[in-house]
Amino acid sequence: MEVTDAAVVAQVLAGDQDAFRILVDRHTRSIYTVIHRMTGNPQDTEEIIQEVFLRAYKSLERFEQRSSFATWLYRIAVNRTLDFLNAQKMTDTNPITENPDSETHQEEIQLRSASPGPDRLLLSTEIKTSITDAMRRLTPVERMAFTLRHMEGKSIEEISQVLNLRADAAKNSIYRAVQKLRQQLAPLVSVAK
Amino acid sequence: MKHLTEEQIILHCFGDAENVAEINQHLGECSECREAFDQVKAMLASIEPTPVPAPHASLEQKIWLKLQDRLPGKNHGVLPDSFSRHFLRPFLQAKWAAGAMAVLVLAAFVAGRYWPRDSEKPGSAQPAQAAQMDPQRVVLVAVGDHLERSQMLLVEIMHTDTQNDIALSREQAQARDLLDANHLYRLSAQKQGDPSVAGMLDQLDRVLAEIANAPRDLNQKDLQEIQDQVRSQGLLFKIRVIGSKVRQEENPSRQYSENQRL
Repeated sequence: MEVTDAAVVAQVLAGDQDAFRILVDRHTRSIYTVIHRMTGNPQDTEEIIQEVFLRAYKSLERFEQRSSFATWLYRIAVNRTLDFLNAQKMTDTNPITENPDSETHQEEIQLRSASPGPDRLLLSTEIKTSITDAMRRLTPVERMAFTLRHMEGKSIEEISQVLNLRADAAKNSIYRAVQKLRQQLAPLVSVAK
Repeated sequence: MKHLTEEQIILHCFGDAENVAEINQHLGECSECREAFDQVKAMLASIEPTPVPAPHASLEQKIWLKLQDRLPGKNHGVLPDSFSRHFLRPFLQAKWAAGAMAVLVLAAFVAGRYWPRDSEKPGSAQPAQAAQMDPQRVVLVAVGDHLERSQMLLVEIMHTDTQNDIALSREQAQARDLLDANHLYRLSAQKQGDPSVAGMLDQLDRVLAEIANAPRDLNQKDLQEIQDQVRSQGLLFKIRVIGSKVRQEENPSRQYSENQRL
């Protein structure tokens, strides 16, 4: 019979540090996907996973077994990823326009939407690039909330727990994310129809 | 008729809006709101979940390997005692350590002849500190360090994606560095009659040589062959077993406290 996560946690807290490897083996892949979706590359993803487990290890005494270890770890993973994105945004050499309505931005979008070639494949590639670009323009919390809802299929309740937000604040983050995406992608989507 | 707000439309696309029945009724009656709703739906449909490539098979191993040294108070022992006893006994015998010590003395002698003599500079405290170190501990630290570096290198090699462009110049330089020391350790182990350790170092020697001498434009097949060689010999596992035990032996006081705890 497989030892439960709770039993492994107790084992680690009792001094068997190597037992922590069981938790690493069990949960690495479950947090890999969401982190990779946010970072877009395996190197940063692996770095963040290490930080997640290190944080979990150091905080293990504070882990209250009201929620599952997986949920607790997922929450750490999301928050470490947000820390990473915030730090990345601070050091980003390409300034991200906070206001998508700015003149420059409008011009950029108009140029893109005005020049689709007849080849739909090319247009599809252009849309994908624009989506990536538009996602990067969201704040880290908006991007995370949208990703959790739209791509990971998490409920509002789960998102609010993971991000430590009230339910209406979580909804608002998703709304703002979609609103911004809509402003940036609407021209392209209508051309692609 | 009062139109739906943008927020209601967006949240309704996810099924998260309140008053769902009223919204549905309104959408059935108001073409303007219906059109806005369809536009948001279409836009969301165009944003497909980002495809995440499957991580490599040994992801957990790599994470643990990097993590274990960072865990507060982490001891490096990771394997069952029965296996350690069976596999490690020859390595930990004093005669092997003495042999390795001889290698180190030789290496120190050679190094001393050619390296700049910083120790002669006024104020340098290094010689006095070195003289105070336990010689056997020096050996264990050196061997442990060598095995750890070899292990990290092989992990990097094993995780290199054969589908993408292969650039291993950094790894090749590391392999060249490790090769000389490994050669000396292997000769010493052979001389002392420790076949299991000598065998492992011999396998490591060949793999390091393969990496070090690989052409600059290493192709997928070449890399695959090196990876297969490491995998088929269970080389990473063997290095890890020995390295783990060596680290334990490095610090007897830590070993004692661990034993007391258990």
